[in-house]
Amino acid sequence: MKKVAKYWFIFQTTLVNSLAYPGELIGRSLMIIPFMWIFFQLWKVTFDASGSDVINGLTLRDTLWYLMMAETIELGRPQLARTISENIKDGSIAYLLNKPYDFMLYQLSNAMGETIFRAFFNAIFGGVTVWFLVGAPAHPEGFIIALPAILGAWVLHFCVNAMIGLLAFGLEDVSAFTWIYQKLAFIFGGLLVPLDFYPQWLQVISKAMPFASTVYGPSRLFVSPTLELFVNVMLLQIIWIVILGFCLTLMYRRGLTQLTVNGG
Amino acid sequence: MPSIEVNQLQKTFQSKRKAAGLAGSMRALFRPEYNSIEAVRRLSFQMEAGELLGFIGPNGAGKSTTIKMLTGILHPTAGDAKVLGFVPWKDRQKLAYHIGTVFGQRPQLWYHLPAVDTFLLFGKIFEMDDRETKKRIAFLSEAFEIQDLLETPVRKLSLGQRMRCEVAASLLHRPKLILLDEPSIGLDVVAKQHIRDAIKTMAQEENVGVLLTSHDAGDLEALCRRVIIINHGQIVYEDKVSNLKRKFLTRKLVEVRYAEEVPVDFSLEGVEILKVGHYGVKLRFDTTKTPVDAVMSHLSEAGELVDITVADPPLEEVIAKIYEQARRAETQA
Repeated sequence: MKKVAKYWFIFQTTLVNSLAYPGELIGRSLMIIPFMWIFFQLWKVTFDASGSDVINGLTLRDTLWYLMMAETIELGRPQLARTISENIKDGSIAYLLNKPYDFMLYQLSNAMGETIFRAFFNAIFGGVTVWFLVGAPAHPEGFIIALPAILGAWVLHFCVNAMIGLLAFGLEDVSAFTWIYQKLAFIFGGLLVPLDFYPQWLQVISKAMPFASTVYGPSRLFVSPTLELFVNVMLLQIIWIVILGFCLTLMYRRGLTQLTVNGG
Repeated sequence: MPSIEVNQLQKTFQSKRKAAGLAGSMRALFRPEYNSIEAVRRLSFQMEAGELLGFIGPNGAGKSTTIKMLTGILHPTAGDAKVLGFVPWKDRQKLAYHIGTVFGQRPQLWYHLPAVDTFLLFGKIFEMDDRETKKRIAFLSEAFEIQDLLETPVRKLSLGQRMRCEVAASLLHRPKLILLDEPSIGLDVVAKQHIRDAIKTMAQEENVGVLLTSHDAGDLEALCRRVIIINHGQIVYEDKVSNLKRKFLTRKLVEVRYAEEVPVDFSLEGVEILKVGHYGVKLRFDTTKTPVDAVMSHLSEAGELVDITVADPPLEEVIAKIYEQARRAETQA
């Protein structure tokens, strides 16, 4: 029990720590307001031009609420790869590794603690903006149903980001890889355009990749909370978490033997 | 049972070599060349349970690398080590329950939170009962005089205050051994004294072994009974601190003051006169070459003494001398 309780406490401590500068936290979250306004203008023109209220199963209102959720997941997630890379560059990894916990579970608890308030404020500001622009979501209960998928998305984000971060054990600076990952998530995850609007062949490719489980899956579930979709999204997420979690464990074990610590 | 056993421990780092300028950078990109840096070279030593051992050396001597191998953070290139019966790099998590660490240059307390929050977090991480954690915090805050600091965010503490909290945090889980890597770095004289006193008291009261790395000889004098001096990853000297002093503190600095003016031709064989004033003289001599009583009687014969001070040269000078000897031996070899 105590072995599990420590990770819960690490999560709580990070949660409290993330409130150290509330002004910065809230200020940063306000960025979602112009994002949503721009999305509204873009998609309004698109829907008007199409002459239809529904494109591939999504209305303008669905699209905006989908994008609000996608942005909340993306903007809320912690910059874990950068954190691990900085821990290695400044040598603080020495402290993080010599405590009796699993380093990866420590990082996961930490990452989740950092995410909650950031995501909360993004959801509040984004939600109010979208509500004002297109009205209430068609299925408010979608939020509750999508919640496990949102948490799963962050766990998946964690796995990929931790792997990129672990590259720092050998490379030290990993900013190029985080940049590539972010852009791939933009395109194949459906962060700017819901995957439903892609041509069929690209939809098949995108949905088969893990990026779709990090953004598209939970956001789509939020606007169309059906049991079938819930099962699909969760199953796919679990498969990816198992595969990437396994790769992460292997990489971590290998990385430990290669670690060099800066500053003597 | 010794708490630390190190046998032929080695750590070699690969460091990328790059010639100056753009051409050098391009060459390094396509045909990287590496230098092997032997940070620790066939190091062997033992440390007994409850011992206070100083591990000193100049920057880049391999002190911190050794500590990081002994805590299991770094894997050695070759050799063996056991800390409290564990092989550190294989049993890092199990070992972590029994050791405490302080890396003077890197904070372990959460920067934005009050120190007490990190203490409570460490209590959970080390799987202590909440009541036991609180009792321990109360005890340590008294021992380190940090009662008034615990609820202040760490970023608002001075370096000396923070270091006291750092060392106290490392002792929260009652470790059998603490590894202190430069705990007094950057501290002023008073803060250094504060930290040393607290560490010494805790080590004696709880029979905690202390492995201390420092390049401050004052830490060594104040805390340790035995010393290992390393340079270029190798042991260059290993003995009791008292022996180190006896063997190397043979030069004395003497300053005397007379009631009347001293004779201008004041001189004595084997004694180096550093300064002669109207009423006083400052001199230096080697006790192995010139007997102390000869110097003393000559000084008292020269006039009526009103004050006399005899001082050892600072330990830094002694250690510098040991490094110098090791360097010369290496060059000759």
